[in-house]
Amino acid sequence: MAADDIHLLARLLAGEQQAFKELVTTYQSAMRAVAYAIVGQRHVEEVVQDAWLSVVRHIASFEGRSSLKTWLLTITANSAKNRYKLNHREVLMDDLPAPHGSIDDNRFSSADGHWLVAPFAWHQDTPEALLTEGELRECLERTLLSLSDLQSSVLLLRERQGLELEEICNLLEISLSNVRVLLHRARLKVFATVEHFEETGEC
Amino acid sequence: MLTCKEQVARSSDYLDGQLSFRENLMVRHHLLFCPNCRRFLRQMRLMQATLKAMPEKPQEGIDALAERLAAQRRDDSP
Repeated sequence: MAADDIHLLARLLAGEQQAFKELVTTYQSAMRAVAYAIVGQRHVEEVVQDAWLSVVRHIASFEGRSSLKTWLLTITANSAKNRYKLNHREVLMDDLPAPHGSIDDNRFSSADGHWLVAPFAWHQDTPEALLTEGELRECLERTLLSLSDLQSSVLLLRERQGLELEEICNLLEISLSNVRVLLHRARLKVFATVEHFEETGEC
Repeated sequence: MLTCKEQVARSSDYLDGQLSFRENLMVRHHLLFCPNCRRFLRQMRLMQATLKAMPEKPQEGIDALAERLAAQRRDDSP
């Protein structure tokens, strides 16, 4: 267990409100993304509430064999699966249309596989500079909303929460190859959105 | 040698370290000779960093939740 975790855990065990605030602030987004992937938007709140209660109930028995984050996300995944009978669940690999499409086969020559339309050179080369561009943020949010629940959760868990692919597989109980496919499709759609925005200045 | 289309199809696996040694070499070899694909990959990385840098939506009710959880914990502990 990391030193930070040990320190925070001691304060949590003591019932310190500020420690719980730190815990919620740091991890609730990741917990929501896990819940979202398993039960969809409608039941996220209930699942996260269940998970927090379970966390408090079991915190004294947390032994630090995993990081606090992994432990919290595992509890969340279990809460989600309890609500949503796992045997009814099939992994939906649906690929829904995104606002600005994807980097699909049309971008390449069918004869030699070269780019037909080369990637447009973006005007900005840092995330901060890109995000200061007026509507890009809204535009990205719209694209994220267009993804299937599973596709957007996998993308957020990877890119925003920094989870390893194996962790995502274990939490969501989907195969590594499915995680790779979901992630790749999601990224190409987000890429297409940024490219469209950089090229036209419009969302 | 990989085509650009094949390189793009492998780009996420390349970024996530999921390619075999041999496939990884094939991608790197392609990139060496293909400015378009280098740009594509550079911008994929920038897109990843941008997703990461997007500000969080403000979360509501954190204080109330923390208060409730802390109280629950104090009730539970002997």
